[in-house]
Amino acid sequence: MVDRGRSSALVPTITAFRDAGATALELGFPFSDPVADGPVLMAAAARSLTAGTNWADLLAACRRASRILPTAVMTYANPVWRRGLGSSMRELRSAGATGLIVPDLSLEDSLEWRSAASQAGLALVLLAAPGTSSDRIVRIATASRGFLYLVGHYGTTGAPVAGASVDLGPLVEHARAAVPTLPVLIGFGIRDRASVARALREGADGVVVATALEERLAAGASAEMLGLWLHDLVAVPLPRPPQVTPRRR
Amino acid sequence: MPRRYGPYGGAYVPETLVPALTELERTWRSARRDPSFRRELHRLATTLGGRPTPLYLARNLTGRGGGAEIWLKREDLLHTGAHKFNNALGQGLLAVRMGKPRLIAETGAGQHGVATAMIGAALGLETDVYMGEVDIDRQRPNVDRMRLLGARVIPVTTGSRTLKDAINAALRDWITNVRTTHYLLGSAVGPYPFPAIVADFQSVIGQEIRRQSRRAFGRLPDLVVACVGGGSNAIGTFHPLLRTDVELLGVEAGGPAGSRGAASLSAGRPGILHGSLSYLLQDTDGQIAETESISAGLDYPGVGPEHAWLKDSGRVRYVAVRDRDAVRAFHWLAEDEGILPALEPAHALYAAVRAASQRPNSDRVVVTLSGRGDKDLAVVLRESH
Repeated sequence: MVDRGRSSALVPTITAFRDAGATALELGFPFSDPVADGPVLMAAAARSLTAGTNWADLLAACRRASRILPTAVMTYANPVWRRGLGSSMRELRSAGATGLIVPDLSLEDSLEWRSAASQAGLALVLLAAPGTSSDRIVRIATASRGFLYLVGHYGTTGAPVAGASVDLGPLVEHARAAVPTLPVLIGFGIRDRASVARALREGADGVVVATALEERLAAGASAEMLGLWLHDLVAVPLPRPPQVTPRRR
Repeated sequence: MPRRYGPYGGAYVPETLVPALTELERTWRSARRDPSFRRELHRLATTLGGRPTPLYLARNLTGRGGGAEIWLKREDLLHTGAHKFNNALGQGLLAVRMGKPRLIAETGAGQHGVATAMIGAALGLETDVYMGEVDIDRQRPNVDRMRLLGARVIPVTTGSRTLKDAINAALRDWITNVRTTHYLLGSAVGPYPFPAIVADFQSVIGQEIRRQSRRAFGRLPDLVVACVGGGSNAIGTFHPLLRTDVELLGVEAGGPAGSRGAASLSAGRPGILHGSLSYLLQDTDGQIAETESISAGLDYPGVGPEHAWLKDSGRVRYVAVRDRDAVRAFHWLAEDEGILPALEPAHALYAAVRAASQRPNSDRVVVTLSGRGDKDLAVVLRESH
């Protein structure tokens, strides 16, 4: 999460992620009404907004972050809408972002966004969730760019509540069968080796970790400590035999 | 019913909610055509709700205005004390039709929370209501009512702790519990199909106004006025009149002197909040503004997308009324007609009396009195010293 109040920690933290083996960065822009977020990311957004974080801070963070790792910006729809789809996306691209993730944008309302992103050279990542039907996930995967973000449980970001977890295997298979070249990443609730291993067993190409990192940052973890923790997760072995079919011809 | 109103509306929600919205739309469309659903809706609207509500000639208030005749559409006489009953009943029956055992709702003034708790009790559904801490404090009687009706009231302590934060909390709950739970959204806001469903169930207000006006004074009114928070009583009032020549006036909360209040249409710009594109109070970064209004039910930075379109297309005019003037209108109605209005429609009353005073005696003005003021006595007494 971009936070003007801790901007000096940005470069060391992202560098630590890279050194730990992260392959990309999701850079969050705080929003006043984050409906898809659980308590940790809600609190992080509130702290960031109280510190005065604005769009210019996001662009500055993007510039610095994208030199270290490929960067996708995660933001709710309204901040992008308010500043204009085309101009916001062009600004993000100029600041070095290569992807955009909007958790409250559903497929039916995404047409204008997809075309603006395509014109700006940004990959608009779409999301699917448990409960998404098999033919809907095919449509989402077909329209998504960069990767398909598969929400890992019924719930907001962070740890799932009891009974909220589901088997995502069939959904991953449908998406892969339809668009074999699009990586599928599972996010929400990825917080330890067990959840990473599970995501890989379900066929994901990778995972997104946000809440678990923010939680540690908020508790005062240094970049080095974060890096060590993340390295441990990245070291989870792929399931045998490999579920992942080759995706390049 | 369209998914959009001009450019406004849509369903800007996390993907987890899409199957529930699809199911809701399908269920509503089939229910509308089903005679046994309509019969049950009518049976409960009449015997539980007390419909139809009267159209009352306010002679003394008319005298105060000195111009057009003022008639009040008495939604304050509906069971639970506000128009919220109409939508809670309809959606409660849809929840039963979908086989969902649990209801959740957001509430500002508490009237929608009470209506939801009431219907949960009447239909045997577990009910949880989210209410901002600030609102719990200023609408205490309704909190007590909800609990006595068997609902759990869950305080929301994040954000500005008012209506928009209660909606956020309800949406987060729905995202987590979507398989067993129906979110009984209380106003004409939110992702499609909510604005269309709410307008549909609230349209009984405008339909009755049409019938009752013809019976009372032989024709349709010249002007119809309603208050606008999220916009449900107004859209229900206006819908059956949109294709007529009747002038329509929506009244938003102007808040305390010197503030933008919660007047999304008058002072806001288009933006995306709680699932729809509509007018919003927001800053240049698209962060949602915190609003201020003496009335909890109007204290919302957004507004239903159909109102956004009605404003742009010019079919409805929207104005804002200050806190102080809403309180004055409360006293006018109390003293002139012996009725204590909720502070929300007191905003509409103020605008209606002003508008009526500029019109000839032969004109007829109807104002939707969307709820009664028992919940507001403490606030009004405090403001009146």
